[in-house]
Amino acid sequence: MTGLKNYAPRKTKNMNSERHISTPQQPTALAPIFRNASIFDSGRLLGTIYLVTFFIVAALVAIPLLALLYGSLRSAAPGQAGEWTLRNWEGLFSSGVLGTFYTTILIGVASAVIAAVVGTAIALIVHRTDFRKGNAVTALVSLSFFLPSFILAMAWIIIGSPGGLINGVLESLFGSDTWKVDAYTKSGMVFVTVLHQIPFVYLMMRGPILGIDATFEEAARAAGASPFSVLRRITLPLLGFSITSSLVLTFILSIEQFAIPALMGIPGRISVLATQLYLLVQFPPPDYGLAAAIGLTLSALTGGAIWLQRRIARSNRLTVTTGKAGRLTLIELGKWRWAANTLCWGYILCALILPVIILAYVSVLKYFSANPFEGAYTWRNYLFLFESDATLRSFWNTLIVSGLGALLGVGLASFISYFTLRHRPPGYRTLDFIASLPFGVPGVVIGLGLLWAYAYLPLPIYGTLSILVISFITRFLSYATETVGGRMIQIDKSLEEAAWTAGATRLQGIKRILVPLAMPSLQGAYFLLFMAFFREIASAVLLYTASTSVLSTSIWSFFEQANWGLASSLSLVGMVVVFIAMYLLMLITNHRPSMKLLDRSKTPAVK
Amino acid sequence: MGIRVSNLIKVYGQTTIVHGISFDVADGEFVTLLGPSGCGKTTTLRCIAGLERTNGGIIEIDGRVVSQPETDIFIAPHERDLGMVFQSYAIWPHMSVAENVAFPLLARNVDSATIPDAVAWALDVVGLSSLAARQPSELSGGQQQRVALARAIVGKPKVLLFDEPLSNLDARLRDRTRAEISRIQKELAIPAVYVTHDQAEALSMSDRVIVMDAGHIVEEGQPRALYRRPTKRFTADFIGAANFLTLTCRNQQWFAPDGSSITLAQPVSGKDGEQRTAILRAEDLRLQARSAAMQSDRINTLSGVIEHIQYMGPHIEYSVKVQDTTLNVLDQIEFTRDDPVLVTFNPTDLHLLPNT
Repeated sequence: MTGLKNYAPRKTKNMNSERHISTPQQPTALAPIFRNASIFDSGRLLGTIYLVTFFIVAALVAIPLLALLYGSLRSAAPGQAGEWTLRNWEGLFSSGVLGTFYTTILIGVASAVIAAVVGTAIALIVHRTDFRKGNAVTALVSLSFFLPSFILAMAWIIIGSPGGLINGVLESLFGSDTWKVDAYTKSGMVFVTVLHQIPFVYLMMRGPILGIDATFEEAARAAGASPFSVLRRITLPLLGFSITSSLVLTFILSIEQFAIPALMGIPGRISVLATQLYLLVQFPPPDYGLAAAIGLTLSALTGGAIWLQRRIARSNRLTVTTGKAGRLTLIELGKWRWAANTLCWGYILCALILPVIILAYVSVLKYFSANPFEGAYTWRNYLFLFESDATLRSFWNTLIVSGLGALLGVGLASFISYFTLRHRPPGYRTLDFIASLPFGVPGVVIGLGLLWAYAYLPLPIYGTLSILVISFITRFLSYATETVGGRMIQIDKSLEEAAWTAGATRLQGIKRILVPLAMPSLQGAYFLLFMAFFREIASAVLLYTASTSVLSTSIWSFFEQANWGLASSLSLVGMVVVFIAMYLLMLITNHRPSMKLLDRSKTPAVK
Repeated sequence: MGIRVSNLIKVYGQTTIVHGISFDVADGEFVTLLGPSGCGKTTTLRCIAGLERTNGGIIEIDGRVVSQPETDIFIAPHERDLGMVFQSYAIWPHMSVAENVAFPLLARNVDSATIPDAVAWALDVVGLSSLAARQPSELSGGQQQRVALARAIVGKPKVLLFDEPLSNLDARLRDRTRAEISRIQKELAIPAVYVTHDQAEALSMSDRVIVMDAGHIVEEGQPRALYRRPTKRFTADFIGAANFLTLTCRNQQWFAPDGSSITLAQPVSGKDGEQRTAILRAEDLRLQARSAAMQSDRINTLSGVIEHIQYMGPHIEYSVKVQDTTLNVLDQIEFTRDDPVLVTFNPTDLHLLPNT
């Protein structure tokens, strides 16, 4: 490789030594000499790291996807003898699958629209009106962001299912002939999905809302528009692109959802693509091939939507971000205050407070009863957790998978960001593209892909924690890359160049300049991954075994066995443990993770 | 020793930024690359620093070839023993002033016992000794700039490179810092290459100025020579406010566009009908009120009308319409718009551009 030749002659390749009298060199070729840059231009170590990173990312992404493609064309289960067939792809057009497709889109669109509207409304209320306790709402909404979807679904099933709390109360009040609620319906699924997605919309819209140039609105006020008018005619149109962007993103998240449709839809015989895939694999007779085809279709759907969202986000030129948030005039709520309070606090109630209370209540019941005064109470659900080897092991597994997995994920993300954003050796564009692919692949699809892959690959990782780590890292890598990358872009290139001209090698520059400056985002990405891994059920549900169960899968299996008591107690204890772990981490690293990471308007550029 | 650039070529994609330029910087010399935006001066500087790879030509620093693509020689920036000051200063925000200044020594594995003294010396030279423990966020722009300067000199590098270091400072600070940079460079006697588009900086600080345009060297020379006797129209136009007058020759006499006779300091011969461009600096022109009764055949005198007035404080800037051209004149006499005036000058102040 020509590159290595460049690296070698550091000292003495020059023919004319100290007393160089320059004679006019022979005229250079008329055309400028083009040099092909080489991977090893900046050193062997860096070049090797680049190659290793490239290989790992390619393997992580390609293996499940290619395995799925392979599996979708096979007639037998993974690992068994079969033949090539197009039957699976034809199966996509069966009425069953088409119906599921339709349901998926329906629920996805409904959830996205409602979540976008409500989420934006809450964000506007908190940040653009004289709403009180706005900071509390922001903090609580951020907290709800961390509540796993399956725990939320469980709580609302307990509340709203045919045998749940609401019906229990209605029955005891009005007798058994009364109107009942049923959480196992499309509306139930949409409701819980919306609750789950609103924090996302809220946090995404905060930045643009706070970043609107105050002068736009001031000009409207000076021209005679009332505050509400300004909101309607200036603010909302300016936010148009951001709203659309978050709408598409919420749609993607809704159709990717696994836990909510699985817990709430399956009992009601409502299938979305993600759960249909799961059912085809977990319940006899299994059809792995069709599941693979469905998985790829779902990925194509989400991938297409992401491409759409990127186009929208890129053409967004309307919000001018300034730092002058303090100058925005607040709208007075007046008689609408009650409505605003109902919306904001009502949301917090439904998404955070009620679920936790209900879970706490159910966890101490001997037998399920809708009437707290008639219930028999016990601590056995908690005692069981500490006595059960299996549960203790799943705690331990969770800490390993989340703690270690997040570390590996952040490390990989840092390398990727560095090579694609700063160093840019040959092939970096391919790396960038490959690394962004898994973002569009739902967790349950990745799980299926790995299931297919490791039935054939010689690595003995099926049934180990490693496969869970691989699955989680594959699923969430792009989150970490975006977080770290967003920061790296802002570190001015001249800071590194100054180090080089001061005598530091490229590696030293990374170590002493880039890493310290990017550290906050590295820590933030670690927390993000840690929480994401802890909440994740979809990518694990097809891959876990009894001995590699983590908290999410343990809770899941308790619930599947209709053991609401244990499911609730483990949920609460699990959340407490995770929060303690995070708090300790915060103390050690002296870092407070903030939602600023999602809020691009706030991170200052480093000059 | 010093720097030698021979036939430097730099291409970005399809565009050639630097078209094979050559120049030297002698030991201890201060050379400025001066030119408008996009002329390739910053690119040239970055090639010398090794932050860009060249497509052709040779760069030598202190007698050692650091870049020669034809023979695959490229010495990375950190091995070139440079001191560079960036336009944005590039002071690392996560290190204190002293740590910033110490960095080049640490990176080059200098004996750590000597580092505190070297840092103290560098800070003393730029006058920041009392701020050694401060964080960059606590410093003003001018102070950050001086930290950058201290960091550049602390390692006693082979060359100093400056990339428009004063453009982010306000005018007063710029004047003061200009003088300081100049003084420090002279004291340390390190060859320096300074890039700027500001001609005042170029003239006041440099031993030699290299004027660049569109990737070529237009002209180079000492500041006085470039100012008084430029050989290219571009140079005259770029440095200082120049008026251009087209003179026509008839019978070995030169005439202004309005037909009046022009006397030169030294006789210049020419063919009949030949035209030459004359440069007159705005500050060398004098204005007099013109009355109708004045004779119009005085030498080196042009008739014109005041078109535009700008009060600048130390002088007044006039635009005087003379026939088809507009002359810029700096004078202290008060006139008003549409006043008829005579524009006069000394023969020694008129400079003829060489024939192209």
